Amino acid sequence: MAKPVKIILAGEGGQGVQSVAEILAEAANEEGKEALYIPNFGVEQRGGVSVAFLQVGDEHIGAPKFQTGDVVVALSRRAIPRTRQYVGKDTIFLYDANIEGAEQELPRHAKKILAIPAISLAKNELHPRVFNVIILGVIVKLTGVVSEEGAKKALESRLKYKFDKEPALRELNYKAIERGMGLVADAG
Amino acid sequence: MPKDKPIEGEKRVFMTGNEVVAWAALAADADIMFGYPITPQNEIMHYWTRLAPKFGRDFLQTEDELSAGFTTLGGVLAGRKAFTATAGPGNTLMQEPMSMAEAMRLPMVAIITQRGGPSTGTVIYSQQEVTMTTLGGNGEGMRIVYSTATHQELFDYTIKAFNAAWKYRFPTFVLGDGYQSKMRESLTIYDPAERGIAIVPPEPYFGKPGVPGVDRPPSQLRNTYNMEEELYEVVEHYLEDYAKVAPEVAEYHAHYVDDADLVVVAHGVVARAALMAVKELREDGYKVGYFRPVTLRPLPEKELREVAGRTKKFLVAESANGQLARLLKEGAYGCTTEMLPLFRPGMGITPEEVIAEAKKILG
Repeated sequence: MAKPVKIILAGEGGQGVQSVAEILAEAANEEGKEALYIPNFGVEQRGGVSVAFLQVGDEHIGAPKFQTGDVVVALSRRAIPRTRQYVGKDTIFLYDANIEGAEQELPRHAKKILAIPAISLAKNELHPRVFNVIILGVIVKLTGVVSEEGAKKALESRLKYKFDKEPALRELNYKAIERGMGLVADAG
Repeated sequence: MPKDKPIEGEKRVFMTGNEVVAWAALAADADIMFGYPITPQNEIMHYWTRLAPKFGRDFLQTEDELSAGFTTLGGVLAGRKAFTATAGPGNTLMQEPMSMAEAMRLPMVAIITQRGGPSTGTVIYSQQEVTMTTLGGNGEGMRIVYSTATHQELFDYTIKAFNAAWKYRFPTFVLGDGYQSKMRESLTIYDPAERGIAIVPPEPYFGKPGVPGVDRPPSQLRNTYNMEEELYEVVEHYLEDYAKVAPEVAEYHAHYVDDADLVVVAHGVVARAALMAVKELREDGYKVGYFRPVTLRPLPEKELREVAGRTKKFLVAESANGQLARLLKEGAYGCTTEMLPLFRPGMGITPEEVIAEAKKILG
């Protein structure tokens, strides 16, 4: 029995980490996989770090929360120490290259640490609004829990009403996924 | 014109537990929900208010949980399948109407989404409302409490709760928690009729046809008595009824218990972690078993005692400081099985923690 892939996403409220986890979960479900997504919904909603727990596998998922992630993504400075507890020796730890002072906080015991410039990519080349969609692309490429097509479809079904009004948004979002996937390839 | 069937056939869905409950209540032919907002159950109300009008069902938001509980009883007295949902401090407030439901044998259904305590605690998660949901209120805990672990069970047991309530006429609870409320996973929702599940119809307590005392016994509903003897007689009669139905209501799951040196006992969402842990321990050659009461009230006592008679040790894993363990100790009274704790009040429990604890015990 293959074990499910365990993903943790953490960031500031408004960075859209919960949406990313939800879209991934929905896309995985649509592809016939089993997914379980649970937000950390306590005081985080009121100014703390927002954490999303996601598992994707072939069989029904067991416990909703877990101790160690296969992939842990931290998108703000505070999210790095907050997610340290979920990083084990087999964890791929990913953080945004634009976080100032990140180096001192990094969980050195991770199997692999990747810095990706998603914030600057969103700001300088795409649009700050699609920052979390870039992250979506990053996770798609890194984990393969859903296909690129599946991620796009899930995005489409979620934002259809916006895309229909403004087709350029669809292009922007799709591009964000593709560029996010590209970032992983660049980071090696 | 309201549609009559909320769910046609079967459908695989992916949603939060709160949404699951709203769909299940529709499928169970619930007529009306009374509620007052509290996290983490709010979205049960939200989804219900969105769905209910499409199927000719009703909703009333009251001024607090006391009122939500009593209006639910009012709905039941009028012969409506009425339900409510609450959590934490709301559950505390609702104990008074729930106690009245016991006193008058009113089949109210309540969904409890446990949050951290005591008091306002957290809005997140716990299993600290076990004692209150099974035995709260002044009285004898003549209630049916289903503790669910998955979204599929939330759907199945919400439907079952309405049926059990109206069949046995004891207040019935679906005991969930904040994790189950907020997480998303897949399940199959269905029209109960297509699964051969008959829906028990409600019936009004007042205004029945015929002449009272001639064609039918009079409807005499009391929650106050003048004499000790009067109350005693009624309670004894209710307790007899409860004891009689308990074995057919009680449900449990057991795996790998036949040769187990240690049996992990858990309920609700923690049972998922417990089962994962037990499977993994078995793969590593540890003789570990799994026992999960699905009904916490009545407890599956016979089966619990059978397992207790066969194994040396229980490891009781729960997100509370021994609220399940207390029920187990009473249920297994006289058995010599050692009962070891893995208590995490208001905290989730992962399979890794259960594995580590079991290995520590087994050496």
